[in-house]
Amino acid sequence: MVSNIKKRELEAQQQTPNQSTKSTIRGSTMEGWDPSTKSTLTQIPLLSTKAGPRDGAAWTQRLKEEYRSLIAYTSMNKSKDNDWFRIAANADGTRWTGKCWYVHNLLKYEFDLQFDIPVTYPSTAPEIELPQLDGKTQKMYRGGKICLTVHFKPLWAKNCPRFGIAHALCLGLAPWLAAEVPILVDSGMVKHKDDTASASES
Amino acid sequence: MDEELLELQRQFEFAQQAKSSIRLSDRNVVELVQKLHDLRIIDFDLLHTVSGKEYITPEQLSLEIVTEIEKLGRVSLIDLADATGVDLYHVEKQTQRIVSNDASLTLINGEVISTSYWDTVAEEINDRLQECSQIALAEIAGQLQVGSELIATVLEPRLGTLVKGRLEGGQLYTPAYVSRVNAMVCGASRGITVPTNLSAVWSSLQMLLQEMDGASGVAVESSFFQTLFNGLVKEGEILGSLRAGVHWTPAVFAIAQKESVDSFFSQNSFISYEFLHKLGIPQPIQYLQSRHPEGIPLESIFVHPSTIEMLDAAAEDAIERNSWIDSLSVLPASFASQDASRILSLCRSVQVAVKSNKALILGESYVFGMGFVKDLFDRMEKETEICNLSGFSGTVRDDLHAAEEAKTGKETSSTIAESNEIVNVSSTNKQGFEKGSKKRKGKSAGKTGPAETGPDTQEPTVPSKSKKNQRKGKDTGSFQVLDAKSGAKKESDRTKEDNLFVSEEWLIEKTMSLFPEFDEQGMDDPETILRPLANHVRPMLLNSWKERRKVAFTDNAQRMKRVLDNLQRKIDESFLNMQLYEKALDLFEDDQSTSVILHRHLLRTTATSIADTVLLNLDIHDKIKNGIEVEESQNPESKSLSSGERIAFAKSLPGLLSVKAVALVESLEGKSVESFVTAFRAMAEESGLTLKKLDKKLERTLLHSYRKDLISQVSAEVDPVPLLPKVVSLLYIQVHNKALQAPGRAISVAVSRLKEKLDDSAYKILMDYHTATVALLALMSAATGDDEDCTSDRVLTKKELLEGLMPELKGLVLSSSQS
Repeated sequence: MVSNIKKRELEAQQQTPNQSTKSTIRGSTMEGWDPSTKSTLTQIPLLSTKAGPRDGAAWTQRLKEEYRSLIAYTSMNKSKDNDWFRIAANADGTRWTGKCWYVHNLLKYEFDLQFDIPVTYPSTAPEIELPQLDGKTQKMYRGGKICLTVHFKPLWAKNCPRFGIAHALCLGLAPWLAAEVPILVDSGMVKHKDDTASASES
Repeated sequence: MDEELLELQRQFEFAQQAKSSIRLSDRNVVELVQKLHDLRIIDFDLLHTVSGKEYITPEQLSLEIVTEIEKLGRVSLIDLADATGVDLYHVEKQTQRIVSNDASLTLINGEVISTSYWDTVAEEINDRLQECSQIALAEIAGQLQVGSELIATVLEPRLGTLVKGRLEGGQLYTPAYVSRVNAMVCGASRGITVPTNLSAVWSSLQMLLQEMDGASGVAVESSFFQTLFNGLVKEGEILGSLRAGVHWTPAVFAIAQKESVDSFFSQNSFISYEFLHKLGIPQPIQYLQSRHPEGIPLESIFVHPSTIEMLDAAAEDAIERNSWIDSLSVLPASFASQDASRILSLCRSVQVAVKSNKALILGESYVFGMGFVKDLFDRMEKETEICNLSGFSGTVRDDLHAAEEAKTGKETSSTIAESNEIVNVSSTNKQGFEKGSKKRKGKSAGKTGPAETGPDTQEPTVPSKSKKNQRKGKDTGSFQVLDAKSGAKKESDRTKEDNLFVSEEWLIEKTMSLFPEFDEQGMDDPETILRPLANHVRPMLLNSWKERRKVAFTDNAQRMKRVLDNLQRKIDESFLNMQLYEKALDLFEDDQSTSVILHRHLLRTTATSIADTVLLNLDIHDKIKNGIEVEESQNPESKSLSSGERIAFAKSLPGLLSVKAVALVESLEGKSVESFVTAFRAMAEESGLTLKKLDKKLERTLLHSYRKDLISQVSAEVDPVPLLPKVVSLLYIQVHNKALQAPGRAISVAVSRLKEKLDDSAYKILMDYHTATVALLALMSAATGDDEDCTSDRVLTKKELLEGLMPELKGLVLSSSQS
């Protein structure tokens, strides 16, 4: 019921894409994610400017929107006691680096995180890399790029340009971590590093 | 570099650096609460919601429930569970507690309903009822989604207060509606004048209501009518009595019924059950007995005792008068014969009479005095006698019958041509008619006493042969019943009637003719009574008839015996004589001509008389045997028969006897005594007679008696002519010791034969006398043609001469015999 209504709304917005800056997530294939992800995703502010790193002022505008949504997402995570990453961008905002972590069995596993903004962004989603885990799991391309679910790409394509980095993290990396880390830990591929964990905690 | 962008970068950095708020997970909270419970810090029950996110105290829950209930006054437990978000189990528990504490609440079928709710509902119902004037409970229940029984129980206390109407058979009615229907019921009930099944009335009323209300009208249940009706009856609005709940007998009808029954009964002193059935009284006997305890129930009728008294008196009278009575004729027409028999059994005098054998009840309703039955029996007995007589004398029978028919014809004053004819026919025969009239006199006089009937004078003789016939007739009689019935009066059927002797039909017919009142009664079928009567009388009649037959039989046998004895005696005597005489013939064996003459003489005299006697007696015997009346007074011996008659008699004898008899008769015409004797012996043997042989002793005694006889005759004889043969005979006895019967012609020879035996003087006297006699006879025989003067003189002289000789001759014989 809810999805039907939303679908209808999204369709209406598709017909008039430029009339409203405030828009909602488009797409009927939200079923691929768990309910908490979905509720979180809907709360992340959507973006409006369609611009890549080579678009100059438009990109700056876009970058501002990216930051706003990231801030909102981060503060939301914090308020829910669900903070799980730190990122920072270079000056022109094309390369983002940072860390992400996942708590499994009361132990925090932290990994390096990095990705570049592709030239065709936002039509193309950024490819998130976890270099430390390269070669440790099959759900990963060469160079530590994570494999996203089949649902991600169509949803991203449908919601271009409204989805940004925050959405990509929320939809892409967070589920991946939740799915893969327990397997990696249990299989012994990833060992807990007490010092890094305690350092990040403190 | 854009300021804003930098600012944003900073903000983002700051946001990332900000201390994230610490949150306890649900699980932690649950664990904490558990811990608190364990530590007795929370020492009361805590409930949690279905979602598991909230804790709630029972007090709060009950509070919430109460508020929920108060909103509408009616909440289902499931709705409560949803609204409070607490498990149904706890909701139920709490609700039960609340309901038990609050009297105004009820928990019904998983719903909590308050009284106020019902009040509102009742108000709503009342509003609707005032609009529609009637509502079905089922309809309300359907709308409220509760059971109609619940509705009924809820509505009942509110009827008349909140709901202005009445509940009847699952329907709610307004008083106006009820009063209307009540009026209808009242009208319909008052309109009923005959006993009616009320359900039929109700259905018609229902139809009427439906027509008035149209299709929308709710079907009014007949129980509603019934209660209204019962109310009306109780109030006395309508009068009558209700039986088995549905059978309504209006008082008008009951009164009319009672009156008509009472009036009929008091007027007629009887009443038939059929009449009561017509009046619609299903159990007439009980009805009548309860109302008229003195009455007597019969098979199909109820009578007052006075009727019995009346019948009793009539029957008693009839019995005393030795008459009969048909109780149906005394009783009213509606009495059936079974009733009559029942009522007769209640008549005291009749019962007493029956017990003491003074009366007889036949055919259920007929009472006969014993005297009457006896009378009938007597007369019937006589009738049978007549019948027996007429059975073998056709003309007499016919005449009697004709006379009888004439009589019946006259008495019933019917002018049937046929019977008139018969009268004519019968009047031609004087004798028969006289008999008939005699009989009639007797009968008309015999009304009070036993009748003297004419044919009494005739002694009834029932021959055995006809008996046999009648027996056969009885056997076959049944086949001829129908014929006899239909054509009883036709002459052609008379022969059949003979066969039907003492059959039921015959008896009935006779009774009818003897007591024409049976016919006059105008009964549909007189046989109804006549048949039992005939059946009653018939065995007695048959008995008496059999007895009589037996008597007649023995009587006849005696008679036959007597005849045969007589015959035997006569034959004995004469046959002995004959044998005696025959012996004398031996003397003349040598003389052929004389012998022949003597033989002939003997045959013609003694033998003939013997044959005649035998034939006549046998004929009588035969007749008796065949049941033919014979004049006994006649002396058969005195008769002498011609040869033709003899032959006729002989031929009339039965069988072999006839042949023998004819031979005997023929031997009479012959010349030899021996042949007669043999023929006679044969015949005697055939007829069962015994012939005595002559022995010496018997011969002597016979001769002696013969001699004495002759002596007395001779001494007494005055006529000179017949003296001679007697003297000669006497002389023969004296001389030869043999009895000679000699005719006149043989006298001379006989006399001449005596010549050697007698002394001369005697012989001379004899001869002289003989010659004188011969001369006299010659003269006498000649005198007829000749001159009278001289011959008569001569005869006279000769006679004188002979008379002169007589003493001598007598002396001759008598002296010798005396010596």
